[in-house]
Amino acid sequence: MARVDVVMPQMGESIAEGTLSKWLKKVGDAVKRDEPLFEISTDKVDAEIPAPTAGVLAEIKVQEGQTVPVQTLVAVIETDKSATAPAASSAAPPVAAAQRAPAAPGGAAASPPAAAKPAPTPVPVAPKGDGAETAEERLRRKSTPLVRKIAAEHQVDIAGIPGSGFAGRVTKQDILGYIERGVPATSPASRLPSAGPTGPVAHPVAEPWPGDRVEPWSKIRKITADHMIMSRRTSAHVASFFEVDFSRIAQRRAKAKEKLTFLAFIVKACAENLRKHPVVNAAVSGDGTIYRADVNIGIAVALDWGLIVPVIKHADELSLMGIARAISDLGERARTKKLLPDDIQKGTFTITNPGGFGPYAGVPIINQPQVAILGVGAIEKRPKVVTLPDGSDTIAVRTMGMLTMSYDHRIVDGADADRFLADVKKMLQEFPEGAV
Amino acid sequence: MDSRAAPAPPAVPTTRPTALPAVLSRDQVLEIYYYLRLTRTLEERLVALYRQSKVIGGLFRSLGQEGESVASAYALDRGRHKDILSPLIRNLGSLLVMGARPLEILRQYMAKAESPTRGRELNVHFNDLEQGYLGQISHLGDMIPVMAGIALSFKLRREARVGLVYIGDGGTSTGTFHEGLNLAAVQRLPLVVVGEYNHWAYSTPPEKQFAVRDLAEKAKGYGIPAVTVDGNDVFAVYEATKFAVDRARRGKGVHFIEVKTYRRKGHAEHDDQHYVPKEELERWARENDPVDRYVQRLLGADLVSEADLKDIDDRVRVEVDQATDACVDEPLPEPETALPGVYVNPPAADRLWFKAL
Amino acid sequence: MPEVTFLEALRQGMWEEMERDERVFILGEDVGVYGGAFKVTDGFAKRFGESRVIDTPISEAAIVGAAAGAAHMGMRPVAEMQFIDFISCAYDMLTNYVATARYRAGLATPMVVRGPCGGYVRGGPFHSQNPEAAFLHTPGLKIVYPATARDAKGLIKSSIRDEDPVLYLEHKWLYRRIKEQLPEGEEILTPIGEARLAREGKHLSIITYGATVWKSLEAADQLDKEDGLSVEVLDLRTLVPMDDAAIVRTVQKTGKVLIVHEDTRTGGIAGEIAARINERAFEWLDGPIMRVTAHDVPLPYAPTLEDFVLPQTEDIVKAARWLAAY
Repeated sequence: MARVDVVMPQMGESIAEGTLSKWLKKVGDAVKRDEPLFEISTDKVDAEIPAPTAGVLAEIKVQEGQTVPVQTLVAVIETDKSATAPAASSAAPPVAAAQRAPAAPGGAAASPPAAAKPAPTPVPVAPKGDGAETAEERLRRKSTPLVRKIAAEHQVDIAGIPGSGFAGRVTKQDILGYIERGVPATSPASRLPSAGPTGPVAHPVAEPWPGDRVEPWSKIRKITADHMIMSRRTSAHVASFFEVDFSRIAQRRAKAKEKLTFLAFIVKACAENLRKHPVVNAAVSGDGTIYRADVNIGIAVALDWGLIVPVIKHADELSLMGIARAISDLGERARTKKLLPDDIQKGTFTITNPGGFGPYAGVPIINQPQVAILGVGAIEKRPKVVTLPDGSDTIAVRTMGMLTMSYDHRIVDGADADRFLADVKKMLQEFPEGAV
Repeated sequence: MDSRAAPAPPAVPTTRPTALPAVLSRDQVLEIYYYLRLTRTLEERLVALYRQSKVIGGLFRSLGQEGESVASAYALDRGRHKDILSPLIRNLGSLLVMGARPLEILRQYMAKAESPTRGRELNVHFNDLEQGYLGQISHLGDMIPVMAGIALSFKLRREARVGLVYIGDGGTSTGTFHEGLNLAAVQRLPLVVVGEYNHWAYSTPPEKQFAVRDLAEKAKGYGIPAVTVDGNDVFAVYEATKFAVDRARRGKGVHFIEVKTYRRKGHAEHDDQHYVPKEELERWARENDPVDRYVQRLLGADLVSEADLKDIDDRVRVEVDQATDACVDEPLPEPETALPGVYVNPPAADRLWFKAL
Repeated sequence: MPEVTFLEALRQGMWEEMERDERVFILGEDVGVYGGAFKVTDGFAKRFGESRVIDTPISEAAIVGAAAGAAHMGMRPVAEMQFIDFISCAYDMLTNYVATARYRAGLATPMVVRGPCGGYVRGGPFHSQNPEAAFLHTPGLKIVYPATARDAKGLIKSSIRDEDPVLYLEHKWLYRRIKEQLPEGEEILTPIGEARLAREGKHLSIITYGATVWKSLEAADQLDKEDGLSVEVLDLRTLVPMDDAAIVRTVQKTGKVLIVHEDTRTGGIAGEIAARINERAFEWLDGPIMRVTAHDVPLPYAPTLEDFVLPQTEDIVKAARWLAAY
């Protein structure tokens, strides 16, 4: 005894369903091959459907009036023919060892021939054969345009990042994760090894007690920690404190139409005076001093994931407004991770400004390989002794702030630092009117 | 001739046989009956299979046209490396006459892996050029220039072979019909064109298809002889075709035979022909069925007995049952067999990359 | 709101345009008395008369040519190819005559050539074609290819109103399988040249059109459930002129692109789309632009063969997975 399925037929290419309008046989009735078994109705046509085989109508699965999709089982016929295996197509033949698709898209994974260099001899140089980079190697080295763009923005070397993508390439997630965990310090060219002149930085281990929470460092934390130690070990850190009267600037700020921060004024003052005091705008190299040609002032920005120092290039060539805009733009781009490699390279002097909630004064650590860093204390109203025009002294309420400059006494002597700061203070306290 | 003058007489004389063709033996007369019955029974089986969703795609019946299909093909020199014909969708009879087997037809309709086209093409779109038939593509008219080319090869090689191609009344409106026929005519190729005036191109009647009354009138435009024949008179069609085929074989060029017949079913199984008055269909069935008329001719001439015919009916039924049983459960083609054979070289199309994932 | 099929929406669109503008007329094989091979024009002859719904002989070249002539004279013909596969018979008229008419001769030719295209229906090589690539490179023709019932209606109306000749491709597999709720009494017009975001996503973009929009959406659902992958699906809707801005936007958003179409790989328009992405959005690419298409073979008839040759949901899922992991 074999059971033969009867299905709702497809009467036309675009027909998706049919209504079983009438059963012409009942369960238990004998049917002959091709004898009309039931009637259907579709969008296009009504038809009598014949039995596929002789036998007995064993089961009815779909009732009169029901609409079902094409190929739905509507009935079962029991036949005394021995069951023949249904004509199911057997599994697809084993997949021939096909090349992985990535090799396919570009055609063969052929090594791109090296451009023939102009040779001194008339014989042209043949392109490199085997031994040149494979597609996978290239992918691991260069990844994709998007990843390269991110790498450039944050100044990271793709080759140094572990990749989880195809062929071990660095994916967008890989590089973004890497950046969030680690600060891209400087360009590879000027990157100082964390093995500084005093050796590799190894931080001592402390014992965790029950209840303590141990958190392994993120990449950015590690780089920061190493840099701080290295900087302290490298430079002969000395600090000078200069208290500045910002009242004049405060008035100017209040009157100004555009938003001008104290920081913009400070940057302007520094930029002008770094030109006049080149040793503060320099670097130590071996037994020599590099006097930088440009005045590029870095502004330290504290982000959720770490410290970054975007640089205002040629700050001495910008007006006050230009500086204000540059600060705003760099800050915005730092926060939205849109900095370009150029933005964080080649600083010659750094300013760190904790802002309104900062300390009265701080002692910052120099940002290597520079030789000076200016910390800006909280700027607020304080009592100050002022001399009136008639020569008598009185106490007035003034807007005051402490500037602390840490500098490298290897090349910046106390007098150099103080002269520079005195000039900065003078300019800030006597800030010129009008466009600057 | 001035078309605005009094209505023209029938375009060309219609052949009117009065006796059974002397050239046909009793065995041959019975063999013709066998093919008529086989065509009809096989199509009925195909309808049943279609309604069981075993036939895939469309089903186009030739009910009412079996006579002209069988008779015209029967007039050819049949066998290997002889005459070649190109059937259309309603010329199943001609295919069977040329040697296509019911098993092959069923396999084609059911998309079986073992079908002559390995499941690649539908219903009667298959060929055996050696055996003598070349299946069509769906674009009507396209087979005329192709068959002209086949006839051209006969001519160039000086072979005494003839080509025969069918075209429907609708098909004569196509550009390729015109170009193919014109080329064949001007080249005087050994080609017989059978124009089947069956009254319907899908739902389009002749008065919306062309402005002539008979297809044979079109032949004048190509400078070839034409004849209009009662398409449901098997012997009439046979004689007209034999005449044309013999002349073509003797180098007299293209001949056009118009067979007047009637398409008794819809364009395809899904077409219920609501645009045809039911009485008209019933009348043709009742009064002008080519198989019935043939039976009456044979019985009337006392050439055969009813028992002889019933024998053939039974034989045909068994043959169709056996052919069905042999293949109905055969498998469909393996998917990857879709790739080879686009070109000789490269031998197969690329398997696309995502199939390997 | 009533639910209508893709086919019904198309019908409504043509009906509304014929009511609105007496210059609109239909010509094609079996469109009048029979109502069309797929019943798209069912009832039209009765309502608008046989002079506006003309049953022609089997002559695609003449149909297209005649439509052009009538269009020159200010009429708005809608020429039907019974199966779009037969448009090949009209290739000369459509590309040499119709497409060039305005450019070379200042002749307005506001006409629509429409017909059922596409496979998945076991129609074999001549009832399943997607011919868009053959006409994509022909300047002067617009090509639209709706995937939803709403766009079936909106695009036929826009095509009829457009001043340029439009090739309107309607997928026969979608005819009765897609049902949507469409508001009544509201003018539905889909702008030509504008793509539609069928699904928003973050990780990967599928750019597609026609029946594969639905397969892509199915794939996207599966990828969401099984892989937690967020896939964006852009339905182009118009092939010429292509919505470059939408394409660029989605690439910028996800960085990974899979182009899916039912047409063959070689010469299929995925190549054109990939080239444009390369030109306009290279910097945002985080992986190669990949395609899921039909194999380079004439479409075979047997179900097992057709299913293998044409892109299926499963293929899209696998391809997207591969690309997402790239």
